[in-house]
Amino acid sequence: MLRFFSVFLLAVLLLMSSYSAGQDGPKDKKADPERLFRLIDRDNDGKLSREEFERFTSSAPLLKGKGKGKENPKLRGLAFDRLDTDRDGFLSVEEFKPFGAQRPGMGKFKFNKEKTDPKQEATAEQPATAEGIAFFEKKIRPVLIAECFHCHSSEKGNKIRGGLTLDTREGLRKGGDSGPAVVPGRPDRSLLIKAIRHVDEKLAMPPKKKLDDNIVRDFEQWVRMGAPDPRDGAKIARAEIDIEKGREHWAFQPVGKPKMPTVKNTDWPRTEVDRFILATLEAKGLSPVEDADRRTWIRRVTFDLLGLPPSVQEVEAFVNDRSEKAYERVVDRLLESPHFGERFGRHWLDVARYAETSGKTVNLNYPHAWRYRDWVIAAFNKDKPYDQFVREQIAGDLLPAASAQQRAENQIATGFLAIGPKAHNERNRLQFEMDVVDEQIDTTTQAILGLTVSCARCHDHKFDPIPQRDYYAMAGIFRATQTCYGTIPIIQNVHPSPLLPLSEDSGQPAGREKLSARERESIVNQLDRLKQRQEELRKEGNLFGSNQGVFLNIQIQTLRGRLDSYDADGNPKLLAMGVREKSFRGANVVFQRGEIDKPGEVVPRGFVQVLTREPVSITRGSGRLELADWLTAPDNPLTARVMVNRVWSWLFGHGLVGSPDNFGTTGQTPTHPELLDHLATTFVEQGWSVKKLVRYLVLSRTYQLASTHSDTCYEVDPENTLLWRMSKRRLEAEAIRDAILAVSGELELTPPVGSEIGRLGEGFSNAFGRLGPIENRVRYRSVYLPVARDLTMDALALFDFADPNVVVGERATTSVPSQSLYLLNNPFVIRSAETMARRLLARPGDDHERIELLYQRCLSRKPTEKEQQLANEFLRSYPKVLEQDGVPRLRQRQVTWTALCQAMLGSAEFLYRN
Amino acid sequence: MLSFSRRMFLQTTASGFGYLAFAGLATQAAERATNPLSPKPTHFPARAKRVIFLCMEGGPSHVDTFDYKPRLAKDDGRPIGKGRVPFAKLLASPWKFKQHGSSGLWISELFPEVAKQADQLCLLHGMHTDLPNHPQAFQQMHTGSFQFRRPSLGAWTLYGLGTENDQLPGFVTISPPNQNGGPVNYGSAFLPAIYQGTRIGSIGRSLREASVSNLKNPRSSTKAQRAQLDLLQAMNRAALERDRVNPAIEGVIESYELAFRMQGELPEVLNLDKESATTRKLYGVGEDGMDNFARQCLMARRLVEAGVRFVEICQGGWDHHRNLQETLTRSARSVDRPIAGLLTDLKSRGLLDDTLVIWGGEFGRTPYAQLSDGRDHNNKGYTLWMAGGGVKGGLSYGKTDDHGYEAVDGKIHIHDWHATILHLLGLDHEKLTFRHAGRDFRLTDVKGHVVREILA
Repeated sequence: MLRFFSVFLLAVLLLMSSYSAGQDGPKDKKADPERLFRLIDRDNDGKLSREEFERFTSSAPLLKGKGKGKENPKLRGLAFDRLDTDRDGFLSVEEFKPFGAQRPGMGKFKFNKEKTDPKQEATAEQPATAEGIAFFEKKIRPVLIAECFHCHSSEKGNKIRGGLTLDTREGLRKGGDSGPAVVPGRPDRSLLIKAIRHVDEKLAMPPKKKLDDNIVRDFEQWVRMGAPDPRDGAKIARAEIDIEKGREHWAFQPVGKPKMPTVKNTDWPRTEVDRFILATLEAKGLSPVEDADRRTWIRRVTFDLLGLPPSVQEVEAFVNDRSEKAYERVVDRLLESPHFGERFGRHWLDVARYAETSGKTVNLNYPHAWRYRDWVIAAFNKDKPYDQFVREQIAGDLLPAASAQQRAENQIATGFLAIGPKAHNERNRLQFEMDVVDEQIDTTTQAILGLTVSCARCHDHKFDPIPQRDYYAMAGIFRATQTCYGTIPIIQNVHPSPLLPLSEDSGQPAGREKLSARERESIVNQLDRLKQRQEELRKEGNLFGSNQGVFLNIQIQTLRGRLDSYDADGNPKLLAMGVREKSFRGANVVFQRGEIDKPGEVVPRGFVQVLTREPVSITRGSGRLELADWLTAPDNPLTARVMVNRVWSWLFGHGLVGSPDNFGTTGQTPTHPELLDHLATTFVEQGWSVKKLVRYLVLSRTYQLASTHSDTCYEVDPENTLLWRMSKRRLEAEAIRDAILAVSGELELTPPVGSEIGRLGEGFSNAFGRLGPIENRVRYRSVYLPVARDLTMDALALFDFADPNVVVGERATTSVPSQSLYLLNNPFVIRSAETMARRLLARPGDDHERIELLYQRCLSRKPTEKEQQLANEFLRSYPKVLEQDGVPRLRQRQVTWTALCQAMLGSAEFLYRN
Repeated sequence: MLSFSRRMFLQTTASGFGYLAFAGLATQAAERATNPLSPKPTHFPARAKRVIFLCMEGGPSHVDTFDYKPRLAKDDGRPIGKGRVPFAKLLASPWKFKQHGSSGLWISELFPEVAKQADQLCLLHGMHTDLPNHPQAFQQMHTGSFQFRRPSLGAWTLYGLGTENDQLPGFVTISPPNQNGGPVNYGSAFLPAIYQGTRIGSIGRSLREASVSNLKNPRSSTKAQRAQLDLLQAMNRAALERDRVNPAIEGVIESYELAFRMQGELPEVLNLDKESATTRKLYGVGEDGMDNFARQCLMARRLVEAGVRFVEICQGGWDHHRNLQETLTRSARSVDRPIAGLLTDLKSRGLLDDTLVIWGGEFGRTPYAQLSDGRDHNNKGYTLWMAGGGVKGGLSYGKTDDHGYEAVDGKIHIHDWHATILHLLGLDHEKLTFRHAGRDFRLTDVKGHVVREILA
């Protein structure tokens, strides 16, 4: 590559010198910018790409920085940007002239002041004069359409003759197999002109008739004018997206208030939900199965709302509660429980791809991410209206706050935008910025709108009516936003950022112990020693590039980072991940094909057009506040639909829309569109209250259905998409661990403060890996276990924990032998069974009662007679096996009970909620 | 039919809770008879008995590796003139191609070791798939569908053939990606859960640390564990009996049995220390930049040798939009010697004749440049290759246009590729069906043609 480069440069320089030497006459004294232009225009497309320009200028002395004569690529980039007055990412001859008019290697490069008029720079997108464009529209475009597009348009999608497309500006200038069709300003060099003049038989176009001479003259004049062409290069070779047509997709239609359907079996429905479900079933000739018994129902609803099994007392109280309000009483108690937020918060954390490390290439700790986790849990517990919940996550920092506490919470909420996976070793700052922005757009639009807007980063969305412009309109909002994710400047981390300081009276916990004077001293001493060693290495000339040097630097920066996270008195600083406003002065451009060195047209900041009726104008700030308002506007057709579908899916196991993160045209269509709209409408009418929605759903008769089999229904609908029964579900990874802890009496229900990763502090995440299986040591609820990207703990990963790199609306459910192995052999499972056995044995009463209690605790029901018998037989026979294995007789009873309890923990009925 | 008899069995043994009476050999023998993993007759004689799928996640560039395009070098820098971005400039491959073996296959210098195996390779240049997006294309490659959840290729294979060693899972996937569909790519969808792939490790994590965890009980003897498992399974059967139809519990029951058996043999099979230093070296175990995939390849050989039907191993990071020269070199190096080692080793053990090795990613890359040193996704034409069991070695089949942009000759859609793989395994893709939701499903949906030209 390098060799190729220098050969090329040499060629250019030779050509240039021959040119200056060989020219005679008055022109000799002046440079010919057009000639130079053609030399640099390596691919003869009639314009200079950034690459072509930089290739050339990297040898031109005038653009080498002064000082020590070092190359200054930045200056070159700057020069290109200033010359490229229409911001199309290319230099036309006209744009190049002020540069090319300078004799290479001589004099100072002066910019044409008029061309860099700041007003023009800001609006840019003015490739030609108004007259020029008018000329094109009047005289040129109609002819192109009528005479040429038949063979030279990419819109038809069929074969393009001669590789030439004339339906875009880019296509015209680029030309086809024979070369550029148009060289602006040079009719004689333009193949298009040659073709329509019919002078060359092989080139004559249109082939069967010569165009009217007047028309040919128009074209010549047009080329002389510089071939003004308002058509946008970025939209090349592709049918424009028809936004209006796009609105016809069901999900982009306004949410309706559907009429209640009529049903035959009027006795069955309890709520409106039931009527919609029953109407669909009846239309298929099906009817729902019977209701679940009370024990099944209370176990189901307790797992669904709290992620925990009900206690024996709770079950018995409900079973014996004969009042009409028995069901409501249970639901209200569960909704008031602080564990509701832990359960539903975790669902949202799946969607928000919550994790405490960066993932990707270099996995760095995010030691303050847990504040966002706690904020989410609290929000669900407080039943923060969902629209407010969204607004705070997008623009909390811009919302009014009544107190220091609220202010801090609003800041923490914006952690939603900051905790995403990032490739911290990306060297190019703009690339890194655009990647972060992309991740923010991706997560925001999938999580809240169920749209994959980030598919439009490199091109118009292939399936949904989302042009690339829309993507960059949103990108502009995030580019005017500073993402505060922290991290320290160690090797492989190129762009550390500040964090958000929280005020001291915010009431936020530190999550870490104070740093004692002694600890501080020890760190300082350690730092001194390391720096000394670093100095020695420097003297030896081994500091850079040596493994030791690198390692020293990591140690020093990590320790420094640790010191920096405390104030002078050793109090932990209160910091949060999140975002804040940033001044963004550059033009908000579309990057063609997503490539940061191909800036295209300038687009105003805005939202997704297909969801926007009124044009938006963002005049102040980043536009996040406007974005938050737009996302939660009552007429936004997606936000409410997407959220009610999520809640439905969390309760019933699968959404009414089977692709909860994709409501676009490649997503699935709703099984019950009217029910979806009914729920969305009700949700908004009830103040976006998630708790009211949950209450409404779980008190429906549909939710109360048994999970039993029906041959007729199964034949028609094995996946139960029509809800003829309740679907059985395997418990999620967290619920399995929590339930094991709960039934063995070991569960610590008080939430821990902070996080294990928070206490490790900034640095590489491998420190986390060294902590070993924390999940087996601590006894708090699984939602508080640290989440490190790509280092998911076994106990969670085995049971399909959500991948925190992406938005996960519905988790997978696999059933593989590695899960069985975990339940058979993992020390945590065995120890829990052992504890459970010990507690059971310590109780007064006989084995019959113990077995009964075991079933009640684990399955919320009493054992049948057969099950009693089965367990009793095991209690009698298993010690015989132990005897053969040489287990001391004294221990046999305990070991037998442990085995019995463990079998219970591994049983399908324990692992499923029916 | 299969699931019906299995269901009958699973339920009848449960009646009366006579687990003690049935426990031990009688139960286990009876269970083996209806074990869904038992070997099954093929539709016609098989050319390959097992599969190793070398999955290159991200979409390796075909024009820089196995699809030699001299015109591309000539037209470097010129606009491609067709497709979605006709003005995009062609990018000559920075790597040199040479002919290799007596077959004279063209292979680039990125794969010096694999090139030595040229006469074993059957290059399929006419591949194409529906979409140039990772998640869709990756899932289509694995399941035939990107819209719906369908059983994976490995699951269909296992369903069709059963396995030769019921002490091991019949379908193992090593280091699969979490993204691009994650478990869907080795899932069983509506097929019984037992046909799902058993995952070892995950992408991005070193295989050195990864293994199937919890393979040994720290306390119980095998006999004691069996007695405990009998109780557990009796409880599961009771639940199944109550539910009458519950594929999930069937899955749990079978998964426990397999797990129990795996404890015996799997630790042994996964232990690469059992291999000689020469063999480890052949694969590149312990070598910088290739150790991880070398381990995968060696593990794959040990697994198929032990009777596992379908092994998929995966190397990610082939999505070379930028820094092609540096990153593609690194990617190729990470797999070149391990793959060559695997082919050599299989051959010397006489396994290559009936082991089908398939290589490739979800799509190829554009012959034109993205930035100056990168390539974009290309679903219209790319190269996958096969080796071993029943395919013609040293064959270059099908072709793309002059620049490698789209397949023009010997076109093979993913459905055709699936049909061909099943055919080599002795399965008729139109007959390998499973009844679900009132209709028969196939891996190839209603499509797919066996590419007979490549059959040996």
